[in-house]
Amino acid sequence: MNSVEGLVNQIQGLSTTASDVLSLQKLLKQADDSLHAESTRLLPFLDQLDPSKHSLGYLYFLEACTAGPVTKEQAGSYVLMIARFITSCIAEQIRLAPDKFITVCKRFKDQVLLLEEPLRGVAPMLTAIRKLQSSSEHLTALHPEFLLLCLLSRCYKAGLSILEEDVFEVDQPRDLFLFCYYGGMISIGKKWFRKALELLHNVVTAPMSTINAIAVEAFKKYILVSLIHHGQSPTNLPKYASSVAQRNLKNLCQPYIELANSYSNGKIADIETYVEANKDKFESDNNLGLVKQAVSSMYKRNIQRLTQTYLTLSLQDIANRVQLNSPKEAEMHVLQMIKDGEIYATINQKDGMVRFLEDPEQYKTCEMIEHIDSSIQRLMTLSKKLNGLDELMSCDPLYLLKAGRERQRFDFDDFDNVPQRFNI
Amino acid sequence: MASSSSSGLTFKLHPLVIVNISDHYTRVKSQLNLPPSLTSTSSAATSNNNNNNSNGGENNQQKPPRVYGCVIGVQRGRTVEIFNSFELIYDPSTRSLDRSFLEKKQELYKKVFPHFYVLGWYSTGSDAQESDMHFHKALMDINESPLYVLLNPAINPAQKDLPVTIYESELHVIDGVPQLIFVRSSYTIETVEAERISVDHVAHLKPSGGSAATQLAAQLTGIHSAIKMLNSRIRVVHQYLVGMQKGDIPCESSLLRQVSSLLRRLPAIESEKFQDDLLMEYKDTLLITYLAMFTNCSSTMNELVDKFNTAYDRHSRRGGRTAFI
Repeated sequence: MNSVEGLVNQIQGLSTTASDVLSLQKLLKQADDSLHAESTRLLPFLDQLDPSKHSLGYLYFLEACTAGPVTKEQAGSYVLMIARFITSCIAEQIRLAPDKFITVCKRFKDQVLLLEEPLRGVAPMLTAIRKLQSSSEHLTALHPEFLLLCLLSRCYKAGLSILEEDVFEVDQPRDLFLFCYYGGMISIGKKWFRKALELLHNVVTAPMSTINAIAVEAFKKYILVSLIHHGQSPTNLPKYASSVAQRNLKNLCQPYIELANSYSNGKIADIETYVEANKDKFESDNNLGLVKQAVSSMYKRNIQRLTQTYLTLSLQDIANRVQLNSPKEAEMHVLQMIKDGEIYATINQKDGMVRFLEDPEQYKTCEMIEHIDSSIQRLMTLSKKLNGLDELMSCDPLYLLKAGRERQRFDFDDFDNVPQRFNI
Repeated sequence: MASSSSSGLTFKLHPLVIVNISDHYTRVKSQLNLPPSLTSTSSAATSNNNNNNSNGGENNQQKPPRVYGCVIGVQRGRTVEIFNSFELIYDPSTRSLDRSFLEKKQELYKKVFPHFYVLGWYSTGSDAQESDMHFHKALMDINESPLYVLLNPAINPAQKDLPVTIYESELHVIDGVPQLIFVRSSYTIETVEAERISVDHVAHLKPSGGSAATQLAAQLTGIHSAIKMLNSRIRVVHQYLVGMQKGDIPCESSLLRQVSSLLRRLPAIESEKFQDDLLMEYKDTLLITYLAMFTNCSSTMNELVDKFNTAYDRHSRRGGRTAFI
């Protein structure tokens, strides 16, 4: 007990200047085990510490407190305490002990889920991310937790600000996978299919040494979303995907690949029968909603194909060609597509004719020019970063080892009749 | 031997002459092949043709060669304009000038440029020398008062002016003996548009590897500095007007009139069609730049990914380079 009290006094004394805080951190590290040993009795001491001034000490105490198993009643009080702590703590002190902070926040998320009120955790988690990040391009372990809370509470808009940022630094690869996967799901929920495609693409093509489940699930959704958005399935993974992914992903997602194949044939009846047949498989992956959306997007795809052949068409004709039931339905579909900006057309209600038009955008306006200009600026910063990365990579010893080895074998200037290593 | 000339003639030199002299000198020097470790015999072998050096092999290594030639141009009243030049073979040790060659050249040039006369001669070196006076006197039967254009081939990066000097000859009484001595004259550089373009082209080709990118960068830098200068001048005028408005500077109506007339000249064109076309062109340029940046970025990205895959992918496919044939 004495040691704990002494520790409290030291925390209160040494939390003012930066150098003091550093020495405090060393003390706390040493005292960590003793704190954990007394975890059950630490609660009253927490009241003596002020989270907005003694953030580091409070963090250590809090972490030791919440270490053990937690009941539902305790969870309620803990949630309040941690939320208050997160909102009032000092970012610089927190960054000195990032793993402790991450552990505390993860426990916070577990408790919030235990109480089945994920909405309570969304705002504090966002604050926690902002305080932990060293820059807005830094992906911490808290990002996927936050997105998970957003998903469970259906609070998609909150996740938007996190998703908009470009990520350049990642702590752990698992964070990136989960972040992009959850981000993709949130985007699907908000129907931002382009963003979802981008995020899921990142998961599928990320470097991985062995296949992991997140990538498999992401690939299934990736196929479905690209069917909805582009009308085509990705036939081959791009060259920069890891070889592990290129070989194994297709085998593990067989039903989806077949769905994509029957989609490309264009017959609605076939695809509906296929979906009925494999309904339980899709349902077990929680993808049935997406599959249904993909099937309905087929009508859109067919109508778009019509714009490439015809200048004007009657609603009855459209209904026949796209296998819809009536001209009324066709009109509804076309109207929806015009509103979404997917086609450019005018409907003449008097004789039921639809006239397809060209894209009226001339790109001559000042706004468009500003848009292009800002894109160029963004590209320039990205290019600088890429060049830096490229240089770093060229100096990597592992790369030099392999590149040097190759060059020696295949340099035809010193062509040797006897090969050094014979590969069959 | 140099003091400023008192003849009152104005000299105008065209850059073509300077380029010609420098080209002649460089050609001779490089054909001479002057490495310091060259032995005397081999240098004697190479120094046979196309050099105007007085002595034999050994001297070639110490002294850079001197080249000689004639300059031609027009004299109108008090203005002497030097347009062109051609080379001559002259041996200062024997002082033999190839007269027939000189006359033939003169005739040829007369056919093409009937107005041009031989105005003088040129040579390379750091300073005018006594021995040059002989050549000078030799030319005096063609032109009673020839010019001597001297180019200093030593490259001095600190020097801002051109290393070209023009000398005239004057009769001075020194120690009771009337002698011809060289006196320096000032000159200006005069160009025609075509000359300016080609000289500009030559000047920008040479330095720093001279790739197309450098040329483009140089041109854009030129435009950029011009715009910067315009910007700073406008700022000065603006500051002046603000000061006048506040009352710090006394009002001067003539200046104000000039400023207002300047302002009234802009905008030069104002119409909707012009705005349209301008935006179209601007957009096109921006899109091309965007495309160029994109390609650049994509290629860097591609290289990066290739390197990454080579380094870290355990079972990387090497794209067909598996079996060793």
